[in-house]
Amino acid sequence: MDLERLAVRARLRSPWESVDLGIALARRQWGSLFLVWLLPAALVFAGSATFLWESPGLASLLLWWLKPVYDRLPLFISSRALFGEKVGAGAALRQFFAQNRRDWFAWLSWRRLSATRSFDMPVTLLEQNSGAARSRRVAVLHRKHAGTATWLTLTLVHLEMILALAVVALVYLFIPEQVQIDWLPFLSSGELWLQWGLNGIYLLVMAAVAPFYVVGGFALYIGRRIELEGWDIEIQFRQLRERSRRTRRGVAHGPVAAQLLLLCALGLAGALHGSPARAEAGTTPEEARETVDGILVGEDFHRMETVERWRLKDFEWKADAFPEWMINFIERLERLLADDGDDAKDGPGFGPLIGGLIELLLWTGAIGLLLYLLWRYREPLRQSLQLRRREKPGHTPPETLFGLDVRRSSLPDDVCAEVLRLWAAGDRRNSLGLLYRATLSHLIERYQFEFGDHLTESECAQQVQMRRQRGADDEQQPVSGALGDFVQQLTGVWQQLAYAHRAPATERVENLCDCWREVFADDR
Amino acid sequence: MLDTAYNVETPEGIDLRAQAAGPVPRILAYAVDVFYRSLILAALGIALAFADRAGVGIWLLCSFLLEWFYPVFFEVVRGGQTPGKKAFGLMVVNDNLTPISWSASLLRNLLRFADFLPFGYAAGTIAMTLNRDFRRLGDLAAGTLVVYRQQNSSERSLPQAAPLAPPRGLLMQDQLAIISLAERHRDLSEARQRELAELLQPVTGKSGRDGLHYLHAVGNWLLGGK
Repeated sequence: MDLERLAVRARLRSPWESVDLGIALARRQWGSLFLVWLLPAALVFAGSATFLWESPGLASLLLWWLKPVYDRLPLFISSRALFGEKVGAGAALRQFFAQNRRDWFAWLSWRRLSATRSFDMPVTLLEQNSGAARSRRVAVLHRKHAGTATWLTLTLVHLEMILALAVVALVYLFIPEQVQIDWLPFLSSGELWLQWGLNGIYLLVMAAVAPFYVVGGFALYIGRRIELEGWDIEIQFRQLRERSRRTRRGVAHGPVAAQLLLLCALGLAGALHGSPARAEAGTTPEEARETVDGILVGEDFHRMETVERWRLKDFEWKADAFPEWMINFIERLERLLADDGDDAKDGPGFGPLIGGLIELLLWTGAIGLLLYLLWRYREPLRQSLQLRRREKPGHTPPETLFGLDVRRSSLPDDVCAEVLRLWAAGDRRNSLGLLYRATLSHLIERYQFEFGDHLTESECAQQVQMRRQRGADDEQQPVSGALGDFVQQLTGVWQQLAYAHRAPATERVENLCDCWREVFADDR
Repeated sequence: MLDTAYNVETPEGIDLRAQAAGPVPRILAYAVDVFYRSLILAALGIALAFADRAGVGIWLLCSFLLEWFYPVFFEVVRGGQTPGKKAFGLMVVNDNLTPISWSASLLRNLLRFADFLPFGYAAGTIAMTLNRDFRRLGDLAAGTLVVYRQQNSSERSLPQAAPLAPPRGLLMQDQLAIISLAERHRDLSEARQRELAELLQPVTGKSGRDGLHYLHAVGNWLLGGK
């Protein structure tokens, strides 16, 4: 048994989880398990159909009674598969008699009605125990898992019946409505072929369910052994041992040449510097290790805190958490209620007290409603407040846009002359850049455009267009058509130069300069 | 490695893990619920026997409500557990392991009709068996699954050994295995424990009784003993 080849994760499982694991295991190789169960059973079925055709009830009882015989091959296959060994259906069928040799009579006689068959079968088949050794072993295994094994058997017995009925119901559902059959006489007639048909359905359903039963019980057995023998611990310890062996060998037989080289280098360094470098620290590895151990044992590594439910974080409560007016208010409430209480003592009943309570509730409701309304319409309220506020502080114009200096003071006196001079000198980028930022600067100062860093060049141009189409507010300078067109053109030309490195023709630049003079004529 | 674990990773990179529950415990949990429901219906039937035909009407209404909304109510209000599921330690959750919502619970329970076909929840059982996370059709439609509720581990008795610091280079899994050895010192036989400790002889440098004692001491240390 080589635990490292175990195909399932070894961990402590509850019995039910073990059964679930068995279902998952059986699902993986259901085809071959189904086949090796069905073929021997089908032989028995065929034999009984030949010799016992007259008594189908007896035949089906025989088929059912021999179940432990068919169960052994699925168990054989799945036990091999658990350790990564694939056994085909054919190879397993050849093992049929070898697998059934041990204890077959016990399983077919006094153990036939055992409710923990699939859980106990591995003891016979895999541990090859019998007699007293077997009963001791079974007693140990049963101590925690017998209940689950029994329920597994009971559930799957019922499931077999339900699935058989479901197959019949499915057939019935597919009979067209037009076919009129008188069901009661038909079913109660006890026709032989009908009963044999039902036997056949039952055989198929048993064969379909059996892999899950056998492997479910087997997984339960494996789960119990993992628990009893600490398989999970063993696997992990083996891995740890292997890892430590590998690292130690790595240190011992590491590349010798590299070590020699390192030694030479160290020797050389030592010779050059004279004094060992470690002297400053004054610790050997052993001492350092002791220090580390000391720290690890210390208080810092042993703090434990168990938190099992949600809780508020620790706040630092301020002394003045409750304002004075609230305390007063509560005190007054208390006095009010106390007064009511006095009245109630004097008066005939609780009328005043209830009245006071209702009054309090009404007031709370009214205040709550007011707060809710304030909260509900907080957006409109905030907006109406903000509109007024925005008029008071003036918008501070930006100093740079797109990395260009747009302050008025940074511009030369005669922008156009400077632009054309730079252009002629071949500094096209600076030339057009100057024209563009001069334009922006004028737009900001004279036309009060609120450009910011969040806008792109084309969005700035769009704002100019929008003001032109919509007309200006009272306080804003209107934008003429010429200015709009100019800004649009200049932006296009500038973007082409700045981002696409496509310079415009010289005439175009001169043309733009003329436009600039024209548009900002009265503003020099 | 085959396992029935269901893993979800949250956007924060936290791995959540649960054990999906298979058909057998779920069928049994359902049987327990059916038992409780029949008890209630029987009691109602006796109580309403006086009310004649109106009683029959009320009884039918109640049985309808019990059939369809008994699971929904318990799943949403009682943390994903109907009484039957509670008996088997199961709970229904959304497939991201959050508590189940009203809509998901309604959907998965109304679709019990599909799972019932053609008879006796055959479709549901087959779907559950074939699905990797043991979901029936209603679970697939509603995006839910049934998992085992984690039991609060009761205090286990630890072996008597003065805690010792572990050797260097232990991975998390190694530490867990050592802790497990210490926690299960009553369940595992003494001989088997020594055999396990002997495996680590190259690492710990101790063998026999000393080796086991040392591993117990390390287990105590890892569990916070000093």
